[in-house]
Amino acid sequence: MAGSMMSQGKLLVVDDLHKSFGSLEVIKGVSFDMDFKERLVLMGPSGSGKSTLVRCINWIEPPSAGRITFDGKLVEPGKCDIRRLREDIGMVFQQFNVFPHLTALQNVALGPIVVKKTARKAAEVEAMELLAKVGLSHRADHKPGQMSGGEQQRVAIARALAMHPKLMLFDEPTSSIDVELIHEVLDVMVRLADEGMTMIVVTHEMGFAKEVADRVIFMDQGLIIESGSPSEVFEHPQQERTLSFLSKVLLA
Amino acid sequence: MIKWSIIFDNLPFLLAGAWTTLTLTVASMIFATVAGLLVGLLNMFGGKVIGAITRVYIEAIRGTPALLLILIVYYALPRIGLNLPQFPAAVVSLAVCYAAYIAEVFRAAVESIPKGQSEAAFSLGMNRAQALRHVILPQTFRRVLPPLANEFAALIKDTSLVSVIAMQDLLFNAKIIGARTANFLSPLIGAALIYLIMTTPVMQWSRNLEKKVE
Repeated sequence: MAGSMMSQGKLLVVDDLHKSFGSLEVIKGVSFDMDFKERLVLMGPSGSGKSTLVRCINWIEPPSAGRITFDGKLVEPGKCDIRRLREDIGMVFQQFNVFPHLTALQNVALGPIVVKKTARKAAEVEAMELLAKVGLSHRADHKPGQMSGGEQQRVAIARALAMHPKLMLFDEPTSSIDVELIHEVLDVMVRLADEGMTMIVVTHEMGFAKEVADRVIFMDQGLIIESGSPSEVFEHPQQERTLSFLSKVLLA
Repeated sequence: MIKWSIIFDNLPFLLAGAWTTLTLTVASMIFATVAGLLVGLLNMFGGKVIGAITRVYIEAIRGTPALLLILIVYYALPRIGLNLPQFPAAVVSLAVCYAAYIAEVFRAAVESIPKGQSEAAFSLGMNRAQALRHVILPQTFRRVLPPLANEFAALIKDTSLVSVIAMQDLLFNAKIIGARTANFLSPLIGAALIYLIMTTPVMQWSRNLEKKVE
C-alpha cells in the first residue's frame, strides 16, 4: 500500500525492471518515475537497453521482472488489461511502421474505428484535424509508399495521437529519416511538448533534448547511470561513460 | 508420326475431357483456398494443440503422393461407409491435398509482413484478431496471389491423376483415342497442347502479379 501512496500523482512508475532475451540480460534493474506533462529524454549508446525499456512500458516487449504502475494501476498481465493499457500509451517507432495498404487518413482513423468503435465519419474528421496538426492535410489521400520518411513518421505520430494517449513513447523517431527532413518531425514533437503532452523520447538529438526535456536519463549496459536536467547531464556529466558518449554524439 | 487429323477428328472428345479438367480444377481450387486459409490461420494462431495437429496434416500431405490420397478417398473410404461419386471424390482429394500447400502459402505471406506492423497495431490497443483482420491480412492478400496462381497451374496438371479412378478428364480421353486409333502419340500431343493453353496464361498472370508486388 505504501507503494500506491508513493505513486500518487505520478503517471508512470517503473520499479526494478529487468528484461532478458534468452540468457542475455539487456535491462538489469531500472527504476524511475514520471509526473503528468513531464518530458523525458532517454539517451545512451546502442545496446544500452533504452529502446527495450521504452518497449517494455507498453508491453510490446514483456518485461522479465519488475513492476510498472501506469496512471495509478499496477500493470500486470491478467490483473491489468495490457490491451487497454496500450490505448492510453501512444508509440512512435524508429521504422515508422505506418500501414502501407492504407492512406494517411485511413492510417490515422483506423485505431479509433477498430479499437474505440468510433463512427467512421467522426474518426475521419478528427484524423483530418490531426493530419493538419502535423502539416500533412495535403497528403491525406496518399499512401505511405508515396511519402518521404519525414512524412511517414508524422503520419505515425498523428496515428498515435488519434487514440488520445496519456503518454507518448518515441523510440528513436528520427534515426531512419534523411537529415534534411529530421526537423519536420522534431518540430511536431516540440509542439506536442508545448501543448503539455507527457512523453518519453529515445533520441540522440541534443538540440531537442535541451529545448524540450525536463529530465535526461542516460543509460549504459542496461542500467541508468545518470539522470538530471539537460544542463546538468550535458554540461556537468558525473560519469566518464556519459562524457565519452556525449563527445561522440557531438562529433557526429 | 503425329497425325494431326486424329487430333482434329477427335477434338470435341478431347475438349469434353478438357472441360472436366477445368471444372475439376476450379472446384478443387475454391475449396482448397478456403480450407488452406483456415488451416494456415489455425496453424499460426490456433495455439499449441491445434497448431501441432494442423502441422501434422500439412507435413503428411506434403510428404505423400496426391495419387495416394485419391485412391484412399475413392477406393478405401467406401469400406467405412463414405461412398463418394467420382467427381466429388476427386474434388475432395485434390482440395484436401492442395489445402496443405496453400496453407503454407498463406503462412509464408503472413510471416513476410514485417513484425513492426503487428507491433504498431498492438500499440494502438488492437487485439490479435483485429490486428490480423485490419493490418496483416490486407497486406497479405497481394503477396499471396502470385503463389496462389502458381498452385492453380500446378493443380490443372495434377487433375490428370484422376484418370486413375476412370474419370474422363483430358488425359483419360486422350488415352481412349490412342487405344481406339492405335496411335497414342497424336492424341497425347493434342492433350499436351490443350494443357499448355490452360496453364500458360495462368503462369504468365502469376509472373505479372509478382512484378507488380515488387
